[in-house]
Amino acid sequence: MARFVFFGGKGGVGKTTVSSAYALECVDAGLETLLVSTDPAHSTSDVFDQQFDDEPRPVEGYDGLSLMEIDPEQEVQDHLMDLKRQLGSQLSPAMVNEVDVQLEMAHQTPGAYEAALFDRFVEVMRDADPYDRVVFDTSPTGSTLRLLSLPDLLERWIERLMHKRERSIDLFEKAAIGDMEPRRMMEGDPILARLQERKERFEFAGEVLRDDASFYLVLNPDELSIRETERSVETLAEADLPVAGLVVNRLTPEPDPDEEGRGARFLRQRVQTERERLERIDADFDVPVVATIETRVEEVRGTILDEVAAELEVDVAPADGVAESRS
Amino acid sequence: MTLADRIATFRDVVEEWLRGLYHGMITHPAYEKIEKEAEDLEDAFMLACFPDAFGIPSPVSYYTAELLPYLSEEFEAWERRMWDRDSLVERKGQQYHF
Repeated sequence: MARFVFFGGKGGVGKTTVSSAYALECVDAGLETLLVSTDPAHSTSDVFDQQFDDEPRPVEGYDGLSLMEIDPEQEVQDHLMDLKRQLGSQLSPAMVNEVDVQLEMAHQTPGAYEAALFDRFVEVMRDADPYDRVVFDTSPTGSTLRLLSLPDLLERWIERLMHKRERSIDLFEKAAIGDMEPRRMMEGDPILARLQERKERFEFAGEVLRDDASFYLVLNPDELSIRETERSVETLAEADLPVAGLVVNRLTPEPDPDEEGRGARFLRQRVQTERERLERIDADFDVPVVATIETRVEEVRGTILDEVAAELEVDVAPADGVAESRS
Repeated sequence: MTLADRIATFRDVVEEWLRGLYHGMITHPAYEKIEKEAEDLEDAFMLACFPDAFGIPSPVSYYTAELLPYLSEEFEAWERRMWDRDSLVERKGQQYHF
């Protein structure tokens, strides 16, 4: 079983519930576990009824479980502020204004959220030493999982930038004849150093994700969520990050056989369609369904979470083993 | 002033002229050409780093923004150059000093 476990899926399918339950399972198995939530709405705080922030903090009442909540918006702001401070310390105020516009713009591009999250993920993976298992509850920001498939692409991109920079510096050095100081020097070029640092970070992320991470997708038994899951499975497979299993959440409970009211008929019909969809999921996906979870009347929190955890049959043991599917 | 001295001074002048001529006609244009090419490459680098300055979104602009503190002086000049750049022929033609 990999050290880093990611739960992804469409918004509202119950990723937080499933990943919290999984984290509890890991704790029960005696693993020191860190649960990382990236939902700005902070639903893990509600699940455990405690407040958390972006530093890992032990969860009261659960020994061996820590939790942190990452707010992508805050990350982007911090990054921006950091850069502004650096700018301010190096430049005259008049100059700062010019570049400021560009900085602000870069932090409002559609990818900024994901980039910030990705950065933070890598940081968490780097500092993961005290934990046996790190569970990521990825945000429904849609492309978080997609972003995880990107280190390769980003690495190549950075490489190209470095190559361009190297060539121009090389020419500048050649252009400096005699005793003239070249306008740029290869040695100690801060740009190249920065890019190199980035490149190493992407390499690290790519390696860890390929060798030491597994991905689970959470879905509901409805058309939209099945289709979205199909797409996610494909994207991840393309990036050499195979999905380890599917968790089907929010299944309708079956009424007792002697019940004949309108509600019972409705439920029976729903159960019927869901069963068909489950069969379809089994047939269409190469990925095994590792758990099915029935819908609850109340929000999942506290003791109900333990029940859900018991229903979740994702393998938690550090040793390798294929999880059994429930049907 | 002896004849030998006058010849020596004359030779000095000729030598200086020749060196100047050589530098002006051969070395300097070559050096200039290389530097221009380096500048062009640097512009390409800047464009690859900050395409969103011209409305083209880039997946790495969040990361390349980190370079701005080091590039700010070049950035401003680059942006101005890009906005009113002459045609490529003009730019490349500058080096021939017609």
